[in-house]
Amino acid sequence: MLKEPLSFLLTVEGERVVDSVLRLGYVHRGLERLCQERNYVQNLHLVERVCGICSHIHTTTYCQGVEALLGLEVPLRALYLRALLCELERIHSHLLWLGVLAENAGFTTIFMYAWRDREIALDIMDELSGGRVAHAVNILGGVRIDVGEASVASSLMRLDELERRIEVFLGVIQHECTFRARTRNVGHLSAEQVRRYCVVGPVARASGADVDVRRDAPYAAYDRLRFKVITSNEGDVWARALVRTLEAVESVHLCRQLLTELPDGPLSVRAPRRVPPGEVVSRGEAPRGELVYYIRSDGSDKPARIKIRTPTLATLITLPDQLRGVNTADVPVVLAGVDLCISCADR
Amino acid sequence: MHLEAILEALQETFPAEKIEGQSLPIGETFVALSPDCIQPAAQVLVERFDLRHLSAITGQDTGSEIELLYHFWDGQGLTLRTSLQREEPHIATVVNLIPGAAFYEREVSEMLGVTFDGCPDRRSLLLPDDWNEEPPMINDRVTE
Repeated sequence: MLKEPLSFLLTVEGERVVDSVLRLGYVHRGLERLCQERNYVQNLHLVERVCGICSHIHTTTYCQGVEALLGLEVPLRALYLRALLCELERIHSHLLWLGVLAENAGFTTIFMYAWRDREIALDIMDELSGGRVAHAVNILGGVRIDVGEASVASSLMRLDELERRIEVFLGVIQHECTFRARTRNVGHLSAEQVRRYCVVGPVARASGADVDVRRDAPYAAYDRLRFKVITSNEGDVWARALVRTLEAVESVHLCRQLLTELPDGPLSVRAPRRVPPGEVVSRGEAPRGELVYYIRSDGSDKPARIKIRTPTLATLITLPDQLRGVNTADVPVVLAGVDLCISCADR
Repeated sequence: MHLEAILEALQETFPAEKIEGQSLPIGETFVALSPDCIQPAAQVLVERFDLRHLSAITGQDTGSEIELLYHFWDGQGLTLRTSLQREEPHIATVVNLIPGAAFYEREVSEMLGVTFDGCPDRRSLLLPDDWNEEPPMINDRVTE
């Protein structure tokens, strides 16, 4: 079901789950401690590997934190390119998730189509950065890639095709009766539960929480972009599918803005090796929600502390509530609905 | 976030503390409090200001003490900072007010050896059940 290790101990009565106990830590790599033993440039490559799916938002959130400590002003063109990769990453993550949800619901056809169409987003990222998943686009002070006119034109064409394909999935989510039957009223979270558990991202937005770091505390180029924050009041797995798919459509629109409005200018400013003493809290909106980096510098070239709170950790905590009373056949759908990234949660 | 009103309310609640907001990047305000003020401060934030989104609890070994940072956020960030002694550090839990704090307290507990008094779940979150070495985030080096 999931391609990452996680343990659930389910207590069932007949076919109903009455309780569940979650155990994490099977891919805990001690990355926060490792960060203290490496310099800020080495850590850029380390934090990129917290997660395979949302690697770019990790380096973006990390870089903007260190850049704030250094007092650097990152050039606007670099901020646009950072945001472009963030949105392409959001599209590929949401399509990956849609496929995983469909597979867990027994809808293998949509899994195949979603992962096929996700290749369009990966191809764009490959052309722009040289990497499908690990892009290494960010450097301290800006970005290391540039986008020429030919790449802008080919990316825009691919985005048009991507949008057409995502609209097909939207139609399935909204109208296909077996998909609705598998996901409606399953894994429900109320608005109150979402607030109590400090849930983030599409899971929170699917239960009515109108929160998005891109709008509420804009970073990269988001203060210059026009986009909608997608919410639903239904609170079930179906609502999460709808929110994520509509977010993917919004991300296509954002990518078009970023490509057609890309300002001229340099790609980076020079970043000193040693970071002055200080502390920073940096946030980004990962595909799964609010990502938080706390960084403390002691004036050396190595951070005294890097704390990473990934969005999956903020949504995993709701699973025992979501699973209570659920039919065992629906357990895979509920687990998939949260969009777990155990690599992120464990670090 | 009504930052001024929050700082005033905290000063009223803790007249013996010197409540000062320290502005830090990015859009964050840090407030230092004694350890026994953290749970009542969280109660003020949740019940009087409806500020109940706790993004994370950072624990760090500064060399001389164990520092805890409670990062609240509603578009602007407010971090409550407190310091615990290194020998048997403990502090009251905030899980009764903010159930979403549970994983964060468990992680700080296993990584730094902090006991959260009143926390109902003290199981390891990330470390193996048979971990019997020092808490991994206790540093060997002392920062100047």
